[in-house]
Amino acid sequence: MNALALNTLEADARLLTPRRALAAYLTEIRFEFMRLLRNPALAAPVVLVPLALYLLFAVVIWGDAVAKDPGTAIFFFSAFSVMAVTMPALFSISASLAMEREMGLMRLKRAQPAPPGSWLVAKIVCGVAFCLLSYLPMLAAAIWAGTLPLDAGQIVSMSLALMVGCIPFCALGLMMGALVKGSAAPGYANLIYLPGCYLSGMFFPLKESMYWQAPLWPQFYVNQLAMQAAGITKPYFIPLQMAIGALLGFTVLFSAVAIWRLARKG
Amino acid sequence: MNDSDSRLHALDAVRGFALLLGVAFHASLSFMPGWPPGIWSIVDNSPSQFLSDAGFVSHIFRMSLFFFIAGFFGRLLFHKLGARGFWSNRAKRILVPLIVGWVILLPAIFFVWNMGMTKMFGGTPPAPPQPPPGWFPLTHLWFLYELLLLYVAVIALRALVVHFDGAQKLRNLIDALVVNSIRMRIAVFTLGIPVAGALMTLPFWFYWQGIPTPDSSLIPQVPATVGFGTAFIFGWLVNRSTTALDAITRGWFVHLALGIVATGWLLHTMHATPMAQPGLTKTLFALVFGVAVWGWVLGLTGAALRFLSNYSATRRYIADASYWIYLAHLPVVAALAVWVGRWPLHWGIKYPFILVMSFAVLFLSYHFLVRPTFIGKLLNGRKYPRRQPPQGPATPSAPTTPIAPIGSGPVAQLRSITKKFGTTTALTGVDIELRPGELLALLGPNGAGKTTAINLWLGLIEADAGEVTLLGGSPLDIERRRGLGVMMQDVEMYKELRVRELITLSSSYYTQPLAVDETLRRAGITALADRPYGKLSGGQKRQAQFAVAICGRPRVLFLDEPTVGLDIQAREALWTNVRQLLAEGCSIVLTTHYLEEAEALATRVAVLAKGRVIASGSVQEMRALVARRQINCETTLSVEQVRGWAGVTDATRDRTRLNIIAADAEAVVRRLLTEDPALRRLEVREAGLAEAFAELTKEAA
Repeated sequence: MNALALNTLEADARLLTPRRALAAYLTEIRFEFMRLLRNPALAAPVVLVPLALYLLFAVVIWGDAVAKDPGTAIFFFSAFSVMAVTMPALFSISASLAMEREMGLMRLKRAQPAPPGSWLVAKIVCGVAFCLLSYLPMLAAAIWAGTLPLDAGQIVSMSLALMVGCIPFCALGLMMGALVKGSAAPGYANLIYLPGCYLSGMFFPLKESMYWQAPLWPQFYVNQLAMQAAGITKPYFIPLQMAIGALLGFTVLFSAVAIWRLARKG
Repeated sequence: MNDSDSRLHALDAVRGFALLLGVAFHASLSFMPGWPPGIWSIVDNSPSQFLSDAGFVSHIFRMSLFFFIAGFFGRLLFHKLGARGFWSNRAKRILVPLIVGWVILLPAIFFVWNMGMTKMFGGTPPAPPQPPPGWFPLTHLWFLYELLLLYVAVIALRALVVHFDGAQKLRNLIDALVVNSIRMRIAVFTLGIPVAGALMTLPFWFYWQGIPTPDSSLIPQVPATVGFGTAFIFGWLVNRSTTALDAITRGWFVHLALGIVATGWLLHTMHATPMAQPGLTKTLFALVFGVAVWGWVLGLTGAALRFLSNYSATRRYIADASYWIYLAHLPVVAALAVWVGRWPLHWGIKYPFILVMSFAVLFLSYHFLVRPTFIGKLLNGRKYPRRQPPQGPATPSAPTTPIAPIGSGPVAQLRSITKKFGTTTALTGVDIELRPGELLALLGPNGAGKTTAINLWLGLIEADAGEVTLLGGSPLDIERRRGLGVMMQDVEMYKELRVRELITLSSSYYTQPLAVDETLRRAGITALADRPYGKLSGGQKRQAQFAVAICGRPRVLFLDEPTVGLDIQAREALWTNVRQLLAEGCSIVLTTHYLEEAEALATRVAVLAKGRVIASGSVQEMRALVARRQINCETTLSVEQVRGWAGVTDATRDRTRLNIIAADAEAVVRRLLTEDPALRRLEVREAGLAEAFAELTKEAA
C-alpha cells in the first residue's frame, strides 16, 4: 500500500461517523443524568422550594384572592412556575460546570477528543429535564388545589413556553459556570437571579417608574411568554415575537460568552 | 516585493472590513429619521439621528475602499493567472455570484419589502410607484456588475497603454506620480477631484447619499463610475508600484486625520442643509467629500498595513466569510428590521439586536453551508473540511495535511516553541520531538515547563511562537486528538460515576476504542470496575485515569507524572503496561521526577530546566553522561598536557587544583600518578543520574 492510500485510510478512520457521534452525545447525556440522580442532595431543595412557596402564597395566604380572580390565579402560577423552571437550570448548571472546571475535568475533556458540543448539549438537556422535574409537581399541585383556571390546551402551551424559557437560563448557568470559581458559583448566580425575580415584575406588579428596567431581566420575557401562551395579555404585555426574540438573544449572548471563555481557559 | 503575504493579509482584512461595514450600514437604514416608506423595508418606530450620521460616515468611504482593494488585487491576479486565467477566475468568483445571487435574492428582497409595507400600512400597502424607464433592480449586487465593467474597461485601457507605450515612459511617469503624490500627502486631495466634479453636476443631490448608489439601472451612472473607477484604477496602479504601499503605511495617521476632519465638516454642513443647492456650498461640499473619501481609504488601508499585517486565524476566517456574508445579508437584515420594526423599544436596543442576530445567522450559514462546500470553493477558491481550522500562512493553498503514517517522521513535535504566561516565560525556544514507537521521558524540576510542553501537544494552550504538531498536524484538530490518550496531573473525574462508566464515557469519544472490559483488564483494575470514582484511594484514581488514557487505542500517549502516589506494586504494574503499549507501536511522552522510572522505560530522555531543553539523548548517552567521573588533585601537570590523554573528556584548572572529567577514571588516575609523583590530595567522585541532572539544572539556573 503506498503512503498516500495509507494516509487517506488513516484520516478516514479518525472521522467520527454520524452514528458514533450521536452515540457520544447520548452517552454524555446518559451519564450527566446519572450524576444528577445520584446526587439527590443537590436536586431536592431546588425542586421543593418553588413548590412550597407556591403552596404557601397561592393556596394558604392569598387563597381567597386566587379563588375569586382567575387573573390573579394565573399571575401567581406563572410567577412561581417561572421560578421553578429557571432556578434549577441556572443553579445546577453553573455549580456543576464551575466544579468541573476546578477539578480540571474540562481541560481533560478538551484534550480528549470529546465532540466539542457534547458536554454543552448534555448540560442543557439535563437542565431542561431538571426544570421539568421541578415544574411538574407544581403543576400537579395547582391542578389538585384548583388554583389554575386554564383549559388543557392552555396548560400545555404554557408548559411548553416555560420549557423554552428555561433554555436561556441554562445558557446563563453555563456562562456563570465558565466565569466563576466552583464554590463561588451559587453566590454569584444568586446575585444575578434574585434581583431579576423582583425587578422583572414577576412576583408583584411594578410601579410605572420602574417599567424601563424590566426588559433587562430574562425572567421578564419568560413570564411574558408563559402568560401569553396561556392567553393572558395583562399586565404590561410585549409582542410575542419580542419575547421570543429577546430570549433567543439572551441565549446567544450567554452561550457565546461561555464558549468563548471555555475555549480559552477550560 | 509588494505582493508579500503579510501585506495581502492586511489588505484582505480591509476588504473584509469594508464588506462587513456594509452589513452594519444596511442594518441602520430602518432607523433613518424622515425617510418615506418604501426606500427601506420598514420605517422603524424609533428613528435615530446618531445612526443616520454613522451611516453617512460609513457610506462616504466603504465602497471606494472596496474598489481600491479590488483594483489592487485585480492587477495581482491578472499578472498571476494571465488574461485567460484571469477571466475564467473572475467569471467564477464575480459573474456567477452576480447572476445566481440576483435570481435567488431578488424574490427574497421583494418578499421582505412586501412584509414590511404590509406591517406599516396594516394589510393594504399602497401600490408601488411606476418605475422610470430603464429601471432594473440590481439590488446590492450592483457592486459585482460595476466590478465587471471596470475589469473590462481597465484591461482594455491597459492593452492600449502597452501598445503605445513601448518604451515604458508613460508607465514610469505614472508610477512616479502615484508614489510621490502619496508621499507628499497630496493624493488625498487630487484623487477626490474627479468624483467631486461628477457630484457637482448632479441636479438633485442629497448630501447624505454621497456617491449615489447605481443599483437601479444597467446603464453605468456617471458619479459612481468616476468615483469607484478612480478608486479601482488607483488600486491597480498602487499594485504596479513597489513602494506605494510603504508610503501608504507611513501616511496612515495623517490620512486618517484628514479624513476625520473633512468628515466632521461634512456632518456639520449637512445638518444645516441636507439637500444640495446650486452654489459655493455645493462645490465645497463635493470637494471636501472627495478629501474625506480618500482620507478614509488611504488612512484605513495604511493603518491595516501598519497594525494588521501579521497572520491571524480569526481575521483570515472573517475575511473569508465576509464575501458570502455581504452577498447574502440584505434579505436577512431587512427581514430582521421588519420583525423588530414595531417593538416598543429604543433603537439602542433594536439596532444591536439586528446586528447580532444577522451576524449570528450569516456566520453560522457561512460556517456550515458555505465554508465546507462547493459554494465556499466558488466564492473563495477553496473549501475547508469542517472542524478543520484554517492552515497557517505557510501553506495557503495546501490540502489538509494527512495524519502521519506509522514509521515516518516524528509523531509529535515542538519546534522553537516560546510560551509565556503573563510575565513568566514557561518555555523558551524549545525543540522536542517524539519519534514513532519510542518513549520520551521529560525530566526536570517543578516549574521546568514539562506540563506546559504537554499542554501544547494536547491543544489546551497555543504557543506564542513556534510550531506544535501532533500526528502530522495541529493538535487543535479533533481528528488528530482522536489519536491520543492522556493522563493529566491534578485532574479529578466525576466522583458519582463508577470506573466502568468513566471508561465507557471516554471510549465514546474515539473511533475504535477497546472494549471496556479489555481496558479494565489491561489497566489491571477489573476489581475496581463497579466502585464509584469518589470512593477510590489516590493510587486507585491514578490507575482509573490510566485506563481512561488507554481506552481509545492511542497512537500517542501522554503521561504526566503517572506514578505519583502509586505504591510499588501498582507502579510495577503500570510500567509493565507501558512496556506492552510500546511493544505494540504506541509512542509515549512521560514526565516524571523519578529518574529510575526514566531509566526503566525511556528510549530517549530530554531534561528541561527553566523552560529550556538543557540535555537530551538516548538512555545510553545519558548513562555515558553519568559514567563520567570527576578527578580532582593538586599537580604540576598543565591542562593542555592532560587534555590530550586517552580517557579524558575535559580538564580545567582553578588556582592550584586540576579538575578532570574522565570516561575511564582508573586509567587516568594511573597515568596521573606515574607522570607526577608529587601529586597530592587526589579525589575521584562518581555522579549518579540524579546528581548529574541536579548539576545540569543548577547550571541552567
